[in-house]
Amino acid sequence: MPYVIQTNHLTKTIGGKEIVKDVGLHVKKGEIYGFLGPNGAGKTTVMKMILNLWKPTRGSIELFGENLTPKSYGVLKRIGSIIEFPCFYERLTGRENLELHCEYMGYHHPGSVEGALEMLELLPDAGRPVKEYSLGMKERLGIARAVLCRPELLVLDEPTNGLDPAGMKHVRKLLRNLCSEYGMTVMASSHILSEIESIADTVGILHRGELVQEVGMQMLEEMNTACIEVRVTDTKGAAFILSDKCGMNNFKIMKEGNIRIYDPEATVQETARVLAAHRIEVTAIGKKAETLEDYFLKITGEADRTCGN
Amino acid sequence: MWKLMKLEWKKNNMKKFVIKAAIVTGIIFLMVLATSGELDDMETVETYGKSMIGTAVDMFANMAFMLCTAVMLASVIVGAYKDKTMDLMFSYPISRQKILLSKMLVVWIFNFSALILCKLMVCGGLVLAGPLAHIPAESVLPGGWRDVSFYLEILVDSAIMVSVSYTALFVGMRMKSSKAAIVAACIVMLLTQGNIGSYTLVHNLPFYLGMVVLSAVSVFLCVHGVETRDVV
Repeated sequence: MPYVIQTNHLTKTIGGKEIVKDVGLHVKKGEIYGFLGPNGAGKTTVMKMILNLWKPTRGSIELFGENLTPKSYGVLKRIGSIIEFPCFYERLTGRENLELHCEYMGYHHPGSVEGALEMLELLPDAGRPVKEYSLGMKERLGIARAVLCRPELLVLDEPTNGLDPAGMKHVRKLLRNLCSEYGMTVMASSHILSEIESIADTVGILHRGELVQEVGMQMLEEMNTACIEVRVTDTKGAAFILSDKCGMNNFKIMKEGNIRIYDPEATVQETARVLAAHRIEVTAIGKKAETLEDYFLKITGEADRTCGN
Repeated sequence: MWKLMKLEWKKNNMKKFVIKAAIVTGIIFLMVLATSGELDDMETVETYGKSMIGTAVDMFANMAFMLCTAVMLASVIVGAYKDKTMDLMFSYPISRQKILLSKMLVVWIFNFSALILCKLMVCGGLVLAGPLAHIPAESVLPGGWRDVSFYLEILVDSAIMVSVSYTALFVGMRMKSSKAAIVAACIVMLLTQGNIGSYTLVHNLPFYLGMVVLSAVSVFLCVHGVETRDVV
């Protein structure tokens, strides 16, 4: 499998503290890789190392199959990026900033600046100095700059920061289109899981500097089978009925009188019928699919417990 | 490199610095003109080969443009690290050393040219205003306009003064502070232009050579290893 990004035991130590430990990422060509983790997990550090801004303390990075060295300038021509927040020459207009970017990248393609501005709906404001832009407009201009030179790889750190819901939706659609139409590979970090869930092909979960999981969304959907969630007034009684009368062992008592049944053969109708037959009052029942957020919390919670032990 | 320098010029609003340099030149002219009566002392020409007026023009111009060099270095290089535009620059497929050197060269060429023009314009202005302000032309230009040594001295002096300001860049980069760079430039300025009683390092050739060497070392240290350092 050709990987656009591959890291091996990537470690970064600052002031004696390991910010990133033994990270092994695998980003496939043409996919959207969601890089998830809570604030301070080390996502930006990893991305800075991928962009050669920071140097690994240990381990290595391979981009497009080549080892990244301090003098790997050529590879940077194939990457578009936003790290932390996009910075601009505030005195210059949006258009001038993009033109300057093209000059530095050595990319001279007529109409590319106008195209990028149009793609991000910034054409009407292109002639205004960036210092007059709102936070959301700067973020969109940052994305326009990142995609301007049609890079093969986009490394985007929290790309929807400061955007309104419509802007977020627009960016998600744009990333999807860039992947499908131009075959770009996208690595996008976020701590807002719902943002990534709908577009990512693969997610990597970073927690306290360690990559705790790297899994395809398709596999994740298969792994996280839907459960039946039933809310009852008497959880102990219901649990007894489910295990003793129905022979179910794969269920979990949750808070507030909720029980989650993971048995793949259980159905909503049968569970409701059995509980009602044994005079257990059911106030709510339905199928519930585990979201990426549930999975994320489960994974990071497990990692915390492992660390605690 | 030339292209990088042109882009630096474009994005750093150098016109702003051109206007400031013109204002500084005007202020220096007025300051020297206002004090010319007290400075008009032909004996110093016989002793030092330079009039008090000429020395004052040199001192004011050198001080102003040493400070200007440090302010520009602080803005173009130290400021770029602080406002993260250096992160952007270092994400381009260009050698980091080239990027830094192009910034340094733009500042050097600008200030070197501005300092020469400033001195020539102030001297020219004083000669033109001489009859009105009762300043004899010999007090400003003892050797006259055709004296080659006058121009040579301006060239060498300007190159040295602008170069020694680069020690301030090293301080600013190490301390990640524009203010530190400017304070360091003020110290260098006092050392090169000031005096304690009759003791001064002005025209002390070994001292100036030492400062130029120190500046060269500073520039080397700023650029050396930049490829392998984290951008912070």
